Amino acid sequence: MAEIQNFTMNFGPQHPAAHGVLRLVLEMDGEVITKADPHVGLLHRGTEKLAESKPYNQSIGYMDRLDYVSMMCNEHGYVLAIEKLLNIDVPLRAQYIRVMFDEITRILNHLMWLGAHGLDIGAMTMFLYCFREREDLMDCYEAVSGTRMHATYYRPGGVYRDLPEQMPRHEYSKFRSRKDVDRLNENREGSLLDFIDAFADAFPGRVDEYETLLTDNRIWKQRTVNIGVVTPERAKALGFTGPMLRGSGVAWDLRKKQPYEVYAKLDFGIPVGTNGDCYDRYLVRVEELRQSAKIIKQCVAWLRENPGPVMVDDHKITPPERVEMKGDMESLIHHFKLFTEGYCVPEGESYAAVEHPKGEFGVYLVSDGANKPFRVKIRAPGFSHMAAMDEMVRGHMLADVVAVIGTMDVVFGEIDR
Amino acid sequence: MKSILQTFLLTELLGGLRLTFKNLFVRKVTLNYPEEKTPKSPRFRGLHAQRRYPNGEERCIACKLCEAVCPALAITIDSDVSEDGTRRTTRYDIDLFKCIYCGFCEEACPVDAIVETRIHEYHMENRGENIMTKEKLLAIGDRYEPMIAADKAADAPYR
Amino acid sequence: MSDDTVQLEVNGVPVTARKGQMIIEVTDAADAYVPRFCYHPKLSIAANCRMCLVEVENVPKPLPACATPVADGMKVQTRSGRALAAQRATMEFLLINHPLDCPICDQGGECELQDLAMGFGRDVSRYTERKRVVKDKDLGPLVSTDMTRCIHCTRCVRFGQEIAGIQELGTIGRGESTEIGTFVERSVGHELSGNIIDLCPVGALNNKPYRYRARSWEMTQHATVSGHDCAGSNLYAHAVRGRVMRAVPRPEERINETWLADRDRYSCHGLYGEDRLQEPMLRRDGEWHKVDWETALKAAAAGLKDAVGRSGPEGLGFLAHPSSTLEEFLLVEELASALGSANIDYRVHRVDFRDPDAEPTVPGIGVPIADVEGLDAILLVGSLIREEVPILAHRVRKAALAGCRVSFINPTVGEWLFPVQAEIAGGAGMVAELAAVLQSAARKRGVAVSERLADVVSGAHPGPGHDAIAASLGQESVVWLGLVAEADPARADLFAIAEELARLTGARFGQLTVGANSAGAALAGVQPHRGRGAVPRPRPGLDAGAMASEGLDGLLLLNLEPEDFPPETRPLLDDARCVVALTPFADDALLSCADVLLPTGTFLETSGTFVNCEGRWQSFSGAGRPPGEARPAWKVLRVLGNFLDQEGFDFDDTDEVRDALVSHLDGLSHGAQDRPDRILARESASPARAVGLYGVDGLVRRSEPLQAAAAASGDPEA
Repeated sequence: MAEIQNFTMNFGPQHPAAHGVLRLVLEMDGEVITKADPHVGLLHRGTEKLAESKPYNQSIGYMDRLDYVSMMCNEHGYVLAIEKLLNIDVPLRAQYIRVMFDEITRILNHLMWLGAHGLDIGAMTMFLYCFREREDLMDCYEAVSGTRMHATYYRPGGVYRDLPEQMPRHEYSKFRSRKDVDRLNENREGSLLDFIDAFADAFPGRVDEYETLLTDNRIWKQRTVNIGVVTPERAKALGFTGPMLRGSGVAWDLRKKQPYEVYAKLDFGIPVGTNGDCYDRYLVRVEELRQSAKIIKQCVAWLRENPGPVMVDDHKITPPERVEMKGDMESLIHHFKLFTEGYCVPEGESYAAVEHPKGEFGVYLVSDGANKPFRVKIRAPGFSHMAAMDEMVRGHMLADVVAVIGTMDVVFGEIDR
Repeated sequence: MKSILQTFLLTELLGGLRLTFKNLFVRKVTLNYPEEKTPKSPRFRGLHAQRRYPNGEERCIACKLCEAVCPALAITIDSDVSEDGTRRTTRYDIDLFKCIYCGFCEEACPVDAIVETRIHEYHMENRGENIMTKEKLLAIGDRYEPMIAADKAADAPYR
Repeated sequence: MSDDTVQLEVNGVPVTARKGQMIIEVTDAADAYVPRFCYHPKLSIAANCRMCLVEVENVPKPLPACATPVADGMKVQTRSGRALAAQRATMEFLLINHPLDCPICDQGGECELQDLAMGFGRDVSRYTERKRVVKDKDLGPLVSTDMTRCIHCTRCVRFGQEIAGIQELGTIGRGESTEIGTFVERSVGHELSGNIIDLCPVGALNNKPYRYRARSWEMTQHATVSGHDCAGSNLYAHAVRGRVMRAVPRPEERINETWLADRDRYSCHGLYGEDRLQEPMLRRDGEWHKVDWETALKAAAAGLKDAVGRSGPEGLGFLAHPSSTLEEFLLVEELASALGSANIDYRVHRVDFRDPDAEPTVPGIGVPIADVEGLDAILLVGSLIREEVPILAHRVRKAALAGCRVSFINPTVGEWLFPVQAEIAGGAGMVAELAAVLQSAARKRGVAVSERLADVVSGAHPGPGHDAIAASLGQESVVWLGLVAEADPARADLFAIAEELARLTGARFGQLTVGANSAGAALAGVQPHRGRGAVPRPRPGLDAGAMASEGLDGLLLLNLEPEDFPPETRPLLDDARCVVALTPFADDALLSCADVLLPTGTFLETSGTFVNCEGRWQSFSGAGRPPGEARPAWKVLRVLGNFLDQEGFDFDDTDEVRDALVSHLDGLSHGAQDRPDRILARESASPARAVGLYGVDGLVRRSEPLQAAAAASGDPEA
């Protein structure tokens, strides 16, 4: 009889279900995983070191490119850390705008996750439904920042520009009747806030549709229930955060536990799972979609009522308005110096974390008083999750690896940094 | 009992199928690109352009703020005294492969010379075409000036 | 506690200060920065910018830190609310009339006004009235002006009065209509005038050739050493993408303090001229061809070898510019020795080569540069020190102002801008005049002049001027031979008499040396009579003069052009059958006499070492990239050595070359002492032939701003 050996297999880095550039070295006994060894670093761009070589503001754009499906949340962690060191208070309106866009980002991220997760384990159509809604949110991103993804919108001291009063509209063309274009423009007649409001109203209905397709679906359940079970103790020990931790039944959410910006003033709930398997994490994320829509509604209501500045009025840190810059000496000097040299941050260190869609996204900054950080360390939630890969898939079948990768919601931009 | 029924009647699967079937008759959410395009905001950060004053004079004064603020080091400028004694660029290159379209150059420019337009459909066929020289940038600016001016005017109150 | 110290508090921290110090000196020492525009440690106190206002306890108003002497028990607050408010208010006033020029101003990014506005000013202006406009002044080709930007700190005015010694700029008008300018339209012509650019805290005075060329933040700063005079001024060369954009002083208290001579500052603007040699060139059948390095080096090696084949090693000569680096000298010497020739020299500017053994092993001024200020008397023989070594002239000026008796014996009267004890010009010629001083000194001290100088001394007739000079020389004094004397046909006579004078009076003797690295050349053995480590050669070769009179078959030139040769020796170049020139530049004169041109880097584009006139070794690395195919000369020489199949050329960097030399210097001999009985044979030529301020080397000759400045001030051309 032939000798039976464990089989070692490479999964990725070009596997479509590897969510980017994950390379898993799997040791298998038949179709059962005995060991999973994730190899990371294929998307390493040295973001931390890059940030240490540039004035503070110039790295904001690089934060977008960490977790490239939740762009503004990454920026948020970074600017919060700088603001902590600078010891400045951000105008309330800017805080609401940030929270609103954080939640929009959360929806964007979870929709991406849901679509891809579904696609990975057989629910093809999910991807299309999710991207339908993502498109609207991308439009919000673009209306406010000018780009659909890499926004560079948050700044230490606030946000770059106030929300536009007009939502960009579809143009009439000969390929579509005027009536049809008007229908498309229906929710674009007003401001960006109106558009977001309409979206937040309609969105829970859309979530119902996703749930119709998945929640009770027996195939979906067979692929996710009791797959990748993590106990609350292990989840904490492994450094899980975000839905990965809450799926195991630990009610930990930075928005509640260490409220930043205006989260303390908002009404929302934190969904928590019970079993700690892929299915519970799915349920947690889907519920977060609904909660995010709820937060967005509250922000829109506040923002409508309260116009005001969106940037700190201290031009030693934030550039002056363009009109001023063109007409007065002090403003011109400050504009010039801020765009060439940047501002100097007082000596010290700070750690700021936000409840990123994937978990706790933290930025640890050390300043030596210069105009660029002495050290930047980014705590990417996905990294800790990825480290638990072996524990989560051991004993499962090969096909379950895909489900576990999906449930981790890995994005290699942040893991490899 | 209910779960047994559900198991045998495939209710949840049929529910899903119903939703899918319903969507067969819903208006399409897609557009016929490239004939139709999605709406774009005046803040859109696409291809760069260099602008001129209405009298035809280049706006750019070679202050190099954009070069300094560019996080990706995509901008290269050489400057010198021009024939009329003013400060001008002799070279203004943007490497589109390096550019990350963050918009900082536009923010930094004290004379609104370098702007990012709403042009996003461009391509290169040969090596070296990724370098947008001053001539190319000015040509884009000249061609799309009405659009650029309208966009900048629309966004001016927010900046 | 001694009487001349006081105790005071700066921001609550107790500090000790000397009596008479100003608050700002104490706060600077205590690391408590006080903003300032008009205060400069090297200039007198004007206290007219009012930026340095600080709060002193029990004084009703804020006081200017730069003009308030410290007192015992004083409590100074530099960052208190009142001090900051006063500084902010001053800043606001300064900016009222400042134009919105930052984007087009060259000072942008390195501007004290910007920095202090960020650090101490308001962030939004309250001023909405019209701003003042001031007409620009034309200060010549070196300094550009934008006088609207001026904040009237008067640093430039004080620089003229106190450092240069010639008031080129002044304040005109008062109040709102105060202006800085020249009283009549003229260009600034002092050889240190470029320093007003660094002094100007705003963009009112700027570097004209550098105008609009680059930004401070995009340039890479390279610490290097100037290669135009024997002081070896420290400077920073600023380069963008390998091209040198400008030079600024690098503070070095022992040499150039915070100043830089115009020649050192503006020479880099001659780097990228039309006749910069960018590819190796080869003359074939009378036509010049651009070739690759291998072809050129092969041709050079073959040319030198053929010359040896035709007329033996004695037919081969090696000449190097005295501003070449130590490493280049060493490799040329190595090349010469490898080919068996001792015909090697750096003294191409010289016409009188008699009495070579009398020369010191390492030429220099005999005292550290920093000690010049403290001398009692200085006698300069045949020296136009202001144009020869401007930085040293500044030290001499400081000494003279402090009471040092400075005297000159020159062919012509000079303009010194400091008090001179005696200036003997023209008359009976330098040799006779110097001999008269020697006679006076000998008579006064009652000692005899050495036998070999008896002839000349006996015929001298000292006058009161000679007596005064002789009387002034003593222990703390020096006798220096200048570059006019160096190029004089009676150089050896002047040398002998001056040395004797120094010996008799107890003064120290020295020479202002040619180029940046004469001392390095002597150490590396680039002399026909002394080899490496200045050890006498067993069989001396031909010096530059003898090469010209005897004629050579093959010749290797390092950084030399025909313009560097006096007319007497210039025919040497045309007569040699094969001339290999390692040169950064190639103009028609060089093209007409050379056969192989190997493009090299200037001192700004190569690493190396200069030994200055006080014997200080200063190594530096290159700032710019040599353009085109040009390479640092030491690399070219090294590879040429390989092409000639010689051993010992496998150096990887200049440090290795330098260390190879250092190992030779252990047994540094101090020259042979046997001298001829009578050396006096010649009379000094008059007027003197000097290369002029802006003719010392190819780079300076090609710097347009410097040449324009020379033309503007009517300097004699090279």
